[in-house]
Amino acid sequence: MIAEIQSAGANTYVLLQLASRRFALRSAIVSELAPPVRLHTFPHTSPLVSGVIVRRGRIVPVYDVASILLGRSSSVHRFYLIARRNFPGGPEASAIPVSGECELVTAELQEASDSSRPCISGQLLIGDESIEVLNFDALLTSDPAVHNASRRAEAQS
Amino acid sequence: MKIAAQEKGKTRRARHSEQVILFAVANRMFAIAAAAVQEIRSTDSLAVSANEIDHSEILKVRHTLERSHQTYYVVNAGAHFGLPVTRPTLVLILRRLRVAVLVDRIERMAEIVSIHALPLAFAGEERRWYRGLTYIDDHVIPVIQPSGFLTTDEFRCLDRATNAIAAPHLAGAFQA
Repeated sequence: MIAEIQSAGANTYVLLQLASRRFALRSAIVSELAPPVRLHTFPHTSPLVSGVIVRRGRIVPVYDVASILLGRSSSVHRFYLIARRNFPGGPEASAIPVSGECELVTAELQEASDSSRPCISGQLLIGDESIEVLNFDALLTSDPAVHNASRRAEAQS
Repeated sequence: MKIAAQEKGKTRRARHSEQVILFAVANRMFAIAAAAVQEIRSTDSLAVSANEIDHSEILKVRHTLERSHQTYYVVNAGAHFGLPVTRPTLVLILRRLRVAVLVDRIERMAEIVSIHALPLAFAGEERRWYRGLTYIDDHVIPVIQPSGFLTTDEFRCLDRATNAIAAPHLAGAFQA
């Protein structure tokens, strides 16, 4: 998959599975799909970070994005999708647990139906399915507590 | 020639490696540079020389120790790291800092050759707590920053509190 991603063009996306839902990430920021190696945890206060994995001699932080995208932590995952998160000090490899195999697709980015969520940069229409494209940097800076509170408010209204 | 080459190799290794003490708090493992620890004592042996301190703002410090005419603040590592309450059995008395740390147990000593920088994803208090991460026997273990146990402001607060406790005794002594 790494070779496929590296040769992919601008309109290519990696489709990832989180529980029963699919999301897309720009392939340009994805580096690999890693096996479910051991998650190492230690005390910290950073929301969304669930621990670290060791991949190719590097320590890679793991983000529990399911708590933002699905409103609950995903207990079952089969792989880690490793993508690049940008920081002012430079990019950093970052892992997100995914539930199934990932797929590389080429499609036109459509405007997002809900512009109020900064972590969604648009959507892809693939067959009958509309798949949200994630803004990886915005997603990883989301605060799960704030996000879930707004989800609850939306559900009640 | 052969001996010299071996010695050179040894020196190079020593320069890059560091002795650490691996200790546990609430079943979590941490590493601290052996050079940062002056003494390890059991909590029982220090029970007589410890004084209670009641500071509502800094709950992780409940006791002080008097050593070499200096007041050491005893930090409960579990409370510091936000871990479940345990029954610490050991105190690590730190070097060059007026801090002693309550821990559950010492696992062992280890030699580490590298400390990985804490990933930028970690943006909270842990950036003050840890020097970085190390990888020992298939475990990623945070390496403690000794100065991260108490901030300058916390030291100031605690100094004020201990001085306030000491002041009435002094006043009594002068009156007598």
